[in-house]
Amino acid sequence: MARPVFRRSGAAGGAAPRIVHLDLDRPLVDAALRDPERFEALYRRYVAPVYSFAYYELGDHHAAEDATARTFLSALANLGRFEERARPEDGEGASTFKVWLFRIARNVIANERRSARRHPAAVLDEATTAIVADPLDIEGDSVRRDEAATAWHSVGRLPGDRRRALVLRFVDELSTAEIAGVMGRSEGAVRVLIHRALRSVARDLGAGPGSGAGPRGGRRQGRAR
Amino acid sequence: MTLPGRDVADIDALVTDRYLDSLLGANRRGAEGGEGGPTPRRLESGVRLASDRLVRDLPRFHPSFRFEERLAVRLAEAAAAMRLSAAVGAEGAVPVIPFPAPELPVGFDPLADAPHEGFVIGSLPRPLLIGGAVAASAISLAGAAYVAWRRTRPGGSPMARAARAAHAMRERPVQEV
Repeated sequence: MARPVFRRSGAAGGAAPRIVHLDLDRPLVDAALRDPERFEALYRRYVAPVYSFAYYELGDHHAAEDATARTFLSALANLGRFEERARPEDGEGASTFKVWLFRIARNVIANERRSARRHPAAVLDEATTAIVADPLDIEGDSVRRDEAATAWHSVGRLPGDRRRALVLRFVDELSTAEIAGVMGRSEGAVRVLIHRALRSVARDLGAGPGSGAGPRGGRRQGRAR
Repeated sequence: MTLPGRDVADIDALVTDRYLDSLLGANRRGAEGGEGGPTPRRLESGVRLASDRLVRDLPRFHPSFRFEERLAVRLAEAAAAMRLSAAVGAEGAVPVIPFPAPELPVGFDPLADAPHEGFVIGSLPRPLLIGGAVAASAISLAGAAYVAWRRTRPGGSPMARAARAAHAMRERPVQEV
């Protein structure tokens, strides 16, 4: 059973402290621990972020589906082992369940890579053509698709850890503390990782110092796994 | 006094992190007309532009509806299996009953007061778990096997004689008066 974690809020100025749950997902996790069929609520909340993370990492629709399925089946089977470890400084709305789930996803994806040896860059174009489909705005559609493809390619060229941190921050909107939990690094290291990744993307987009004239004038980096 | 390079990098990273918090927060509130905070002076312009581009342009992906529902069904099945196994476990120690019936010693009568020597329930092959849904069918199968065996056994106990007499009465043809 997960250890309850609470924080006091509104304690300043002599007001009566209000006890609030710290972990965003705690009620859903407790319900799923009592009755495994209630796990569906957690599944519905996180299926898209986990799939998106897997898709960025694997670059293949079927591989991302496989990884998503394995992640949730593994999470359900091991839910009894989940232990909430939120700290007051993580702030309200933090979810240690989300961190735990993304750690499972990261491991599943790493295994998927090792076994399949897939290379995401090969299918990026296919992915970006499916991003926008607005038949009433063909020109705008084309521009947005190009911009999305450029952003996708810039991120895709980053080394593994920088790319992972950037996707978790921008696509899945995890906090730095949560990303540190997922990646098993300190918050400071994650901040530096993201900062350096953004500098690389800036150079790639032609916005950074020392970039070339065009949007692809920046330094190319090999994609690390 | 100048800061070491590592400290400068940490401060720059911290400034970027605060800006991202503000930017992503404003993006989440976008539908409600929220705005991000002011751009810190220390933030590099390239980093700011890259952040703005990624927030705006980096696509998110959603699995197909068909996949989502199919996985939901798989999870529901797995959850139901977990609940069933938990229910079986909640019964405490699961008794093991031998099935099918063993070769019984000659003259064995389960209705007799003392069991015959040499017949040990736990010494038989193919254990059957009793618990939950499995228990009901096992008990009824064992009961039917016992009744069938009991009918064919010539026994001397009053209960056995009564059972045979009642069976004989049912099978006797009705005589017309």
